[in-house]
Amino acid sequence: MPASLVVEARGVSRVFPMSAGPVTALRDVTLHVAAGEYVAIAGPSGCGKSTLLHLVGCVDTPSSGSILFEHRDVAALSEAARSRIRLTRIGFVFQRFFLLPMLTAAENIELPQAEAGVAPAARRARTRALLEYVELVDRADHLPSQLSGGEMQRIAIARALANNPVLLVADEPTGELDETTGEHIADLFDRVHADGTAILVVTHNPTLAIRASRRLAMKSGSLVA
Amino acid sequence: MTSLGLAWRTARRYRARTLLAVAGVAIIGALLFDMLLLSRGLLASFADLLDSEGFDVRVIASEGLPAMRVPIPGSADLADRIRGMPSVRDVALIRMERARVRRGADRPRVVTLVGRTQSGVGPWTVVRGASLSYGPVGSARPSGERDSASLPSERGDCPVVIGRNLATAFALEPGSSLDVTATPAGIASALPSVACRVVGLVDFGFAGVDEYAVATTMDAFEAIVAEPSHGEADLILVASRAESGGGAAAARAIAGLRPDLRVYSNEDVVAQFNRNGFAYFRQISFVLSSLTMSFAFLLVATLLTVSINQRLGEIAALRALGIGRRRIAAMLLWESALLVGAGALLALPLGGVLALLLDHILRQMPGLPERLHFFVFEPRALVIHVVLFVITAAAAAAYPVWLTSRLPIAATLRREVVG
Repeated sequence: MPASLVVEARGVSRVFPMSAGPVTALRDVTLHVAAGEYVAIAGPSGCGKSTLLHLVGCVDTPSSGSILFEHRDVAALSEAARSRIRLTRIGFVFQRFFLLPMLTAAENIELPQAEAGVAPAARRARTRALLEYVELVDRADHLPSQLSGGEMQRIAIARALANNPVLLVADEPTGELDETTGEHIADLFDRVHADGTAILVVTHNPTLAIRASRRLAMKSGSLVA
Repeated sequence: MTSLGLAWRTARRYRARTLLAVAGVAIIGALLFDMLLLSRGLLASFADLLDSEGFDVRVIASEGLPAMRVPIPGSADLADRIRGMPSVRDVALIRMERARVRRGADRPRVVTLVGRTQSGVGPWTVVRGASLSYGPVGSARPSGERDSASLPSERGDCPVVIGRNLATAFALEPGSSLDVTATPAGIASALPSVACRVVGLVDFGFAGVDEYAVATTMDAFEAIVAEPSHGEADLILVASRAESGGGAAAARAIAGLRPDLRVYSNEDVVAQFNRNGFAYFRQISFVLSSLTMSFAFLLVATLLTVSINQRLGEIAALRALGIGRRRIAAMLLWESALLVGAGALLALPLGGVLALLLDHILRQMPGLPERLHFFVFEPRALVIHVVLFVITAAAAAAYPVWLTSRLPIAATLRREVVG
């Protein structure tokens, strides 16, 4: 594994046991994301994109094969260690934003930093910088319910970047947004990539996928291109 | 943001849930608090009544009961011997009889007539006027010697102190006069009335709300019942010296003098009532307290669980972002603590008001001492209240915490998106 690889999936499969019988969501998938790389995975609904993203993002473990994150086998790590990797090395962006509704935009961005033990003054400075980065300084004290969908997603991206991750994983980040707003989010991803953060995004949105430096397609649990 | 801060924001965010939980816990908590006050209230009030009399040892005949007494043979001699004991501060002989009181053309009232020898303390509290006069207070009165200031049969003097009920019924004040006729139970008698003079209005600790009571000197009592006591009393009250071991030590010493009698310290009387009559209140209180705590637990646990189920996606996302299980568990514990704590705090004034109302209703029961209360505050009730609610808050949060700690992050996020 070259030193510049952030994450590598080696022949991973994921089988979900169901009462009606096991369902294979991923079949022998091999994938790697290098530092600073921008990878997009496209494919129809239910083809296993999100499952692969969850494995690469260390929120799930494969049924077979292995996931190496910064040269460490994720399956061999404790849940606490995986949680630490997610907190400090990976940033997550979700289709439905999942901002905490009772916290302001700034507080949502501060939360992962507080969990990582960043000092209050440093947290505030970083949050301010991230709000400027996503151009929402004037919305710092607004609750998510007072923001538009695009603004919520920009705050969610700022939250994902809060602890300077090496990898940003995004699951249909424009899925709940209109075309114009989706383009703004795609622009923001371009800036994040340009700043050196690796991105792995799964999307239906060709406007977003086209921005990636490497585009992959999935079908029935396998990478096809 | 701390876990407490997150919990506080969550409580504010879901206001309807918070208000429902707090109101529910407050009402349940008020009932619990009242059960705790009731569980020992009657006992504490009874003990307080006994102590307020100023005497801490009671001597009765072996055949008698604390409530139904028979005369004690040789009471005067025994009283002299008790008075001479170093652990004893004061002694009073008590006799009781049923009597009828009349004033002018008013309807006569049946009263409990109490005759008492001289003593420096109680067993009543003067509200207005004076207590019974026996000459210089504290002077020892040899057995058989008559009260110096009350010789009704020879001097026509019958000083009485009366309870407030009787004073109200007859509009009596210190200085008023009334006629007292003994009407011993179980025998036909035609005793003459004795003219008595009210010297004071007093608070008889054990007199019932609807009971009329009159107390006088032992000499006046004998004149009213037209029967010399020959030194016999129904009850001997003894005040011990605290420095000599208190009532328990005095009771043991007195029991040694006359093994044929029953000697109870106040603690013995309270313990006996605790084992018998008051045990029902304790058991009822225990059952109702357990039920109310179960309701509090179910209410908060249900609301928290429903709330968590509505926020599973949010929590899965937090876990995906690397927010640890501990912080989420701490947030849920704080949420539970805030809901239960606010409710439990509100429960105290609510329970206090409810206790006053219930106490007022229960004290209307006939035959109960006027100063006896069912609901009595003791610090231990507050401590138990707090401890029980801390346990409830922790128990109510246990299932939601377990639910979130075992939450499958990927599956939950997938469900949220599909949903």
